[in-house]
Amino acid sequence: MSKPKSKTEKIAAAKRDSLLDLLKTEGSKIYTDLDGGQFPHLYVPSRSVRNIVYDKKLRQYILGKAAGLRSSKNMAQLRSFTQLIWLAFFAKRLVNEKKSSTLRDIYYSSQAFEMDFEDQPESDNIIMDLEAVLARPREDFHIFPEERSSVFGDLTIEYTVPGYEGRRVNLSDHPDGYLIGPSLSSAELVDTSAELVIAIEKGGLFTRFVEEKVDKKFKAIIIDTTGQAPRSTRYLLKRLRDQMKIPVVILTDGDVYGEHIAMVIKSGSANAAHLRELTVPDAKWIGVWASDIEKYKLPTIPMTESDIKRIYDLQKDPRYQEGIWKKELEVFLKIKRKAELEAFSKYGLTNITDKYLPEKLELAKSL
Amino acid sequence: MATKEIFNQISPSEFFYRNRDLAGFSNPTRSLYTAVREFVENGLDACDQQGIFPDIHLTIKPVDAEKPDPKPYILTVKDNGPGMESKQIPMAFGTVLYGSKFGLKQARGMFGLGATMAILYGQITTNKPVTVVSSVDGKTQHEYVMMLDIQKNKPVIVKHSAKETNKKGLSVSIVLEGDYSKAGSKIRDYVSQTSLITPYATITFDDPKGDKFSYKRIVDLMPPSPTIIKPHPHGVDVETIRRMIVDTHYQIPTLDNNMIEKVRKELGLAKKNLNFDGIMAKAEKKWSSLSRPVRVIVALMSFLKMDFDKIMKIRIDDIDLAHKHLTYWDFGESKSIMVEMPKSSPYYKQLANTVHGETIATFLTKRFQRVGQATAVKFTEFAGLKAEKRIGSLSNDELVQLSDSLQKYEEFLAPDPSCLAPLGEEPLRKGINEFFNPDFAEVVQRSASAYSGFPFIIEMGIAYGGQIPGGKITTYRFANRIPLLYDEGSDVVLKVVNETDWSRYKVKNDAPLVIVSHICSTRIPYKTVGKENVADRPEIEKELRLALLFLARKLSAYMSKKGLAEIEKKRSNLYQKYLPLISQFATELAGKNKEPDYKKLIKDLNMNVETQK
Ligand SMILES: Nc1ncnc2c1ncn2[C@@H]1O[C@H](COP(=O)(O)OP(=O)(O)OP(=O)(O)O)[C@@H](O)[C@H]1O
Ligand SMILES: [Mg+2]
Repeated sequence: MSKPKSKTEKIAAAKRDSLLDLLKTEGSKIYTDLDGGQFPHLYVPSRSVRNIVYDKKLRQYILGKAAGLRSSKNMAQLRSFTQLIWLAFFAKRLVNEKKSSTLRDIYYSSQAFEMDFEDQPESDNIIMDLEAVLARPREDFHIFPEERSSVFGDLTIEYTVPGYEGRRVNLSDHPDGYLIGPSLSSAELVDTSAELVIAIEKGGLFTRFVEEKVDKKFKAIIIDTTGQAPRSTRYLLKRLRDQMKIPVVILTDGDVYGEHIAMVIKSGSANAAHLRELTVPDAKWIGVWASDIEKYKLPTIPMTESDIKRIYDLQKDPRYQEGIWKKELEVFLKIKRKAELEAFSKYGLTNITDKYLPEKLELAKSL
Repeated sequence: MATKEIFNQISPSEFFYRNRDLAGFSNPTRSLYTAVREFVENGLDACDQQGIFPDIHLTIKPVDAEKPDPKPYILTVKDNGPGMESKQIPMAFGTVLYGSKFGLKQARGMFGLGATMAILYGQITTNKPVTVVSSVDGKTQHEYVMMLDIQKNKPVIVKHSAKETNKKGLSVSIVLEGDYSKAGSKIRDYVSQTSLITPYATITFDDPKGDKFSYKRIVDLMPPSPTIIKPHPHGVDVETIRRMIVDTHYQIPTLDNNMIEKVRKELGLAKKNLNFDGIMAKAEKKWSSLSRPVRVIVALMSFLKMDFDKIMKIRIDDIDLAHKHLTYWDFGESKSIMVEMPKSSPYYKQLANTVHGETIATFLTKRFQRVGQATAVKFTEFAGLKAEKRIGSLSNDELVQLSDSLQKYEEFLAPDPSCLAPLGEEPLRKGINEFFNPDFAEVVQRSASAYSGFPFIIEMGIAYGGQIPGGKITTYRFANRIPLLYDEGSDVVLKVVNETDWSRYKVKNDAPLVIVSHICSTRIPYKTVGKENVADRPEIEKELRLALLFLARKLSAYMSKKGLAEIEKKRSNLYQKYLPLISQFATELAGKNKEPDYKKLIKDLNMNVETQK
């Protein structure tokens, strides 16, 4: 290390070291077992539906106490045990060499080691197993999603990826926004003047918001979630809330799927119940609500069968048992119609930013 | 002419010539194969019966190697058996239906016809004689060169000579039209399969192409020779009973010089001539010492009222007990005369006994197996016949009734299997192991059972894997130690094998699997005289099924074990592959330089695999 470490570098290094420690601990256990003539084993927290429970305090889905024994002594588990150890080994290399990879990369990398994954879903599954064992999201060990959403606004970050270490960037410098990719995910958040984060479901509206200078008008960082927010995006949202102390609001289409996009940002998904780093419990869904459709006389589309079925499904989810979450589902079910964010264009392209957004933000304060 | 032909009697030889297809002599291919079989089987039979380990030498040589098939071949089969008495040779090999194996015991030969048919076929196709060389004492050997007179069912001896030898045994050589290019594979199969079911024999075969096939004896154990037994009541039909009754009759004695001499001698009148009354008086005095035939003659004389001179000039034609008539032909007067037989006469009973033969009870106990006095009495009650009734006095209806009842009566014990000579489980197992070199073999010999009064025993073997080729399940069929190679389609053994659901025994239909089935019986229910396939009798089918079931279960147990061993092997392979990888990854994760000592684990696994075998 030639030059003295900055604060962000130190934070990044500490995080990396703790992960490497974790990997070393797991590796040593296995090493000792082998050396003592024992078949090594691991406990993998169970991600089966029966072990996913809703934690009222955390207001998110988490894994229960059940954990499966994965033992190399069991012939049926030998292969997946080896795959898991391989992945840990491979993760260590990624972290040490500061290389990023994707789910698909992992699948192909495994072939060089004869790990015999039958298909990518199988390797994706092992990645989730490792996340559960280490209780760390895969981004921590440099495995990133392919789909990328964007961020725009006054936020200064400092890269930690090789070749860019220490370099800083302000995310309002490029009007198309910045991809929330591996380097942004691993960068440290240094400074911001923003007082609000607006997560918006659609790229088109994101561009409109940039054009209309929503970032300036509302002192906001704007994030395009591209539909259901990818984990790296949720991770960024969490960091903005926790590290930079900026509140998060969410703007989605006025339908049941939009409502759920907001819910996942707020309290996670069952899919990622093994991770607790991805939720923003006090994020607020500000629209488009079912009740807004009436109120703002938005052009609507009738709901489909599957929309309605989805409402019934969500009504069984413990998170939808109170507040606006419960109320809006009921209204959707009553009107059986939905409206998109673009619907505001009926009243002029800037109607949404000029009129709707300020009203809703005002309202949100009381939520 | 046409009418005359109707009365033309055909000889048995000619009959079989006309029906040679039945006996397996339909064309040059089949005939060559059948001829080989007949002679080889005769040689094996002869050795078996004397408890000699057979050493059979078969040679087939073309007369003219250049000619294309079909062409004449010289077929020679030589054995080390007991040989045959010189004077019997012409009859045994020169006439049909002459044989020593008609009795109820297990042998390959049954009909007394095989050898002669082969010789006949050779003669018809090549017009060459048969040569038989035989020695019964290992000192002198007799050689016969013979032709057969088909019309007269009689041999014509072309040459007979005797010379010294030091070997017992018999050899037959014929020249016949054959097609070895087509029959060859069947003949080779026949020879090799014979060696499988006769593991106590040495068989060599010199084939026309100069190849030598040699099968050495592999077991030093010969099955005990079977004994000849009486028929079982369930095994006879009306015709057989009729024949047996005729056999039991005291024939009405012919009144020839010899017989009269005998009567005079027993009466003490060899040198003395007495008149009729004198003879009768003498007979009455000596009655208790007279033999049965003499008593019959005396009884006849009493009704005829004749002395010795007169009685020598007549022929007794009929004794009608029902109508008490005695009919005779008088040579002097050249006419038929009938006299009364008063029932009151003490001689009437004497004659009646003779003509009517023994009582039903005696007939049954003496002529059948499994019938004692008590059984005979119970049976006659069941049949609605009087136990004391004379067998010869039965009406036709009563005879049918007797025969039917014999079939139906269920209290008879099962037929005596001592007349059977199964190969035995150990020789069969050895034969199978030697022959197929399998991974797994199991054999079973069922206890004796019977169909229609004929005892039979099923022996079966199953072999799996090893050098057995896969593709399909092969069934080797044997009956009385004869391989059955032709007409497999309609055979009962194949029916049973094909109807088995092999998947239930963890066996695929294309598994490397062999089944060896051997049926032993005093009478194999062949569908044809060619002895190639066995008809399906329910009793035989059932025994075959039970035998196969038993073996299939054993195989299934083996397959399960084998399955386990395979899993162990797979397991071992998996660990050989993955443990080194785990070790490598863990070493790097733990930040160590040296790999852990994981080899112990692999060693343990190997030991596990080995103990599982
Ligand atoms: N190699 C031999 N050694 C001793 N005796 C023999 C030999 N070959 C044949 N015989 C005698 O000759 C007889 C006639 O043989 P043949 O083959 O014609 O009839 P079989 O064997 O009794 O019945 P089948 O027609 O079923 O073959 C036999 O029964 C046997 O007694
Ligand atoms: Mg014969």
